Amino acid sequence: MAITSPAPCRGCAANRAESLVQLGVQPDKWDYFVALAGNPNTGKSTVFNALTGLRQHTGNWPGKTVARAEGTFSNEGKRVKLVDLPGTYSLQAGSTDEEVARDFLLFGRPDVTVIVVDATRLERNLNLVLQVLEITDRVVVCLNLMDEARRRGIGVDANRLAQELGVPVVPTAARSREGIPALLEAIDRVAMGAVELRPFRLADLPAEVEVAVAELEPVIRESFPELPNARWVALRLLNADERIISAVRTGEIGVLSNEAAGREVPVAESAVATFEGNHREVLDAAASLRWRLSPTFHDALTKHIYDEAQAIAGRSMITGLRRAKFDFDRKLDAVLTSRILGFPLMLAILAVVFWITISGANVPSSMLATVLIDNLHPVLKGAASSIGMPWWLSGFLFDGMYLATAWVVSVMLPPMAIFFPLFTLLEDFGYLPRVAFNLDKLFQKAGAHGKQALTMCMGFGCNAAGVVATRVIDSPRERLVAIITNNFSLCNGRWPTQILIASIFLGTLAPAHLAGLLSAAAVVAIAVLGIAAMFFASWLLSRTVLRGEATTFSLELPPYRPPRILQTLYTSIIDRTIIVLWRAVLFALPAGAVIWLVSNISFDGASLAQHFVSWTNPFGILIGLNGVILLAYIVAIPANEIVIPTILMLTVATVGLSGVGSGAGVMFELDSMAEVGDLLRAGGWTVLTGLNLMLFSLLHNPCSTTIYTIYKETGSAKWTTVATVLPLVMGFVVTFLVAQVWRLLA
Amino acid sequence: MVDPAQALVVFFALAFATALVAWPRRGLAARLVKLWRMTERVQVEDALKHLYKSERSRRPATSNSLAGALQVSATKALKVLARLEERGFAQFDKDGPRLTDAGRAYALRIVRTHRLWERYLADRTGVAPADWHEDAEIQEHRLSEQETEDLAARMGQPLYDPHGDPIPTATGELPAPAGIPLTALEPGLTATIVHLEDEPPEVYDRLVAEGLALAMPVEMVSAEPTRIRFKTDGREHELKPVVAANVTVVPEPALEVAVVPPRSLADLARGEEGGVVGIAQACQGAQRRRLLDLGVVPGTVIRAELVSAAGDPVAYRIRGALVALRRQQAEWIQLESQPAARAGAADGDH
Repeated sequence: MAITSPAPCRGCAANRAESLVQLGVQPDKWDYFVALAGNPNTGKSTVFNALTGLRQHTGNWPGKTVARAEGTFSNEGKRVKLVDLPGTYSLQAGSTDEEVARDFLLFGRPDVTVIVVDATRLERNLNLVLQVLEITDRVVVCLNLMDEARRRGIGVDANRLAQELGVPVVPTAARSREGIPALLEAIDRVAMGAVELRPFRLADLPAEVEVAVAELEPVIRESFPELPNARWVALRLLNADERIISAVRTGEIGVLSNEAAGREVPVAESAVATFEGNHREVLDAAASLRWRLSPTFHDALTKHIYDEAQAIAGRSMITGLRRAKFDFDRKLDAVLTSRILGFPLMLAILAVVFWITISGANVPSSMLATVLIDNLHPVLKGAASSIGMPWWLSGFLFDGMYLATAWVVSVMLPPMAIFFPLFTLLEDFGYLPRVAFNLDKLFQKAGAHGKQALTMCMGFGCNAAGVVATRVIDSPRERLVAIITNNFSLCNGRWPTQILIASIFLGTLAPAHLAGLLSAAAVVAIAVLGIAAMFFASWLLSRTVLRGEATTFSLELPPYRPPRILQTLYTSIIDRTIIVLWRAVLFALPAGAVIWLVSNISFDGASLAQHFVSWTNPFGILIGLNGVILLAYIVAIPANEIVIPTILMLTVATVGLSGVGSGAGVMFELDSMAEVGDLLRAGGWTVLTGLNLMLFSLLHNPCSTTIYTIYKETGSAKWTTVATVLPLVMGFVVTFLVAQVWRLLA
Repeated sequence: MVDPAQALVVFFALAFATALVAWPRRGLAARLVKLWRMTERVQVEDALKHLYKSERSRRPATSNSLAGALQVSATKALKVLARLEERGFAQFDKDGPRLTDAGRAYALRIVRTHRLWERYLADRTGVAPADWHEDAEIQEHRLSEQETEDLAARMGQPLYDPHGDPIPTATGELPAPAGIPLTALEPGLTATIVHLEDEPPEVYDRLVAEGLALAMPVEMVSAEPTRIRFKTDGREHELKPVVAANVTVVPEPALEVAVVPPRSLADLARGEEGGVVGIAQACQGAQRRRLLDLGVVPGTVIRAELVSAAGDPVAYRIRGALVALRRQQAEWIQLESQPAARAGAADGDH
């Protein structure tokens, strides 16, 4: 592995390479590497972006071992790797996030750990700092949000805090880059070993714990004489931390000594050779000591850390400042969460966001369609025939793969590029947590988390993005509920279908002047039905298959912060829009190919598509749809956007109309709604077909991009299957019932 | 075209049949699985457990008590006992069946699995406390020894189950039972609750309904043959002795039983604040760790600051941060009993 290492940490960097790859870090070249830890809502990602200068941001999908994001930057002429750890309140390894952060700090052994601390909530943040200091000495505390603290009249004496903690403390306001140069300098000095570090270590633990630690520590020291944090290891063993127990058992814990001693010893050899045989004693001692501790000693320990944090914070606060009143936040909160105004304001704000998205996306969408479909497609076909490409190859490539992709891009990109930044701005400002706060009671009844309201809204933009957004829900069961039910939010790929079909089949039922109103009401009703289905599915899931998943609710309401427009645009486009679009394109390419192939491969005198349609037609008719729709939903799994073009193409092919469409396997759309209606009616469509298509468009399996995203996010084939099959079954049942009742009444 | 009425009839018949078969717990499938599980092994293991519990509580087991515990006929119980003897797990003497060492070790392993599983459900899952026991009754027969040990390792070798019972170690070690039944506490003396027996479930439900929980201080008022009267913080209880005997206490002379009922965070009106005394034992596992990590530890002063538009949750100022907690969580957080002075904005909507 090619890692260039400078003098100060040659040994550990080389040794670490393998374990870092295990921990999910890209094996780039770097001189030293830095981990970024901190509580949630401390502006950690702002610090990350300030350090890497936005350019190096690489979105990373989380997994059990993968840190959230990593980037590189150069500092004092050295290449620095920065790894952003999940935001956590503690390192007790109680949740996956905490486990990832803890394992990373312990076994990844970063050269420097930067802990981002909220200056306005010093006590709670110090709780984490003190825990990190038990693990590693090489710490720089980034005292962030100093601007906010000043605004509120909270003063923190950074020098005093540095004295108390025994590590450098740099006051910053990362939002305005204030203090970032000083932070870079401090990181460099700690990495180069140019600062003397005397980290604060917990002492005088609660009596029973102190006794047990005092007994266990010498046993550990005997086995691992060079361990820098034997006391902490003792505490973790008393807490029966399985990861630490196994590290002691295998001797892996011994590698921590190497760094302290500055020696270069290959991990495996040193561990096995030196420590084999000793560890049993340590574990036995820990096991027998545990019997003497009361079951609640963990509570007492947490209280002890908090007491220390409180004392340190108390000594480091500058007193005598004029305490600003929290007027703005409080008054705004009183309005936004009030019984009378809370909900109307929320609906108004969301309505504005949707209105801007829908009306704003129309123009760029049709521009993209004109360029990609109307102009570029014929050019490509023309070029293909001029170089003598066989018809089947150019059909396969351009009518199939290219056209499907172009369709997806032109329909999907503009709304997402508008919706996501708007949403992120609201998030940045601090309004979205209040929405979750207001709506939580409703979701609680369905066994879900208030934040599901946000991921649901995100799903109206794109379900795949909504699924990714569920990362904000840190309770395992509620997160799964939110992931599995996100598909019930009518995503923007399905809105055009709904509007088109409602106008053709339902709008015409009303007198002309009410037609628009009726079809709009029908589409809204479908979206509301989706929300109802979401609540029903959440309720069902949390009481059946998800009954046993663990649940922890807490919802922090961060203070309101002026949103950063440019940064928001950048990150929401990179993190949400581009990644989702890229996945959609990856799936659209093969789908386009399949659509073209099933329409052009024939046997027994009919194409594959025709065979399939006539085979599934009876079932389709039974549930008030038809074979064409079923086939369209199968081949259009990659993106709901291509359902209507596919249906039109298949209808022409199976009904055998001539003079419409662009040939077998070539998707198309018609300019006038009336033409589409005539074509569909010629294909045997009735009002019932239209209505059931709208229902089925809401209630069917998620698109393949979303399915793939669900799999990435849950890492579980089981939950991915549930999320895929559940809405499909609901769709079949609902359309079936509607069809039978309709036929009985008609 | 299929006749719609016919189609509907077929559909509802199918749906009904599916529900009949697959309904959780009461469906045909669930019942069949239950029957199928009632194998000889399960009966032997349950019998061992019964003998072990009788031995520990010094109430000699008989074939009748076993028949009651296994819910089988007396003849069947005798058969099971014969099987135990045949396999060397029990022998008969003048007092009835007794466990051999091998039988005791086997019984301890089953008890270990049972209590570990309850601990697992309490700490790592969202399964309701009322379902812990029933679930563990199934798992104790299912998990292999290796699976039990893996679970124990993953759980950090826990020592107590969520009811306060010690979990036997893999080698079958168990601390001597501590404490006395509540019925044996002298009037006027105080004690701490260390254990609530979870069998039979009806009695356990009664104890939970009384609001009794682990680590709660009690003061005996009077112990009569027909009723036991005792006090907990701000409340007086009256239980039948047979129920009260399922509460185990450790006498502690200088314990203070408060006059006023305990306050929880949920009792705070908007704008009020209170100092935390502790988190109720009912809150376990990930939930408890999260609250602790947020800084809800004894001594922390918490203020109710904001009520959501729907009335629940309420946002509390905890160590500088504004954190919304649901009503159920707030009820877990116990506050000092004297109400703090009404501070700040009194514009709450309570």
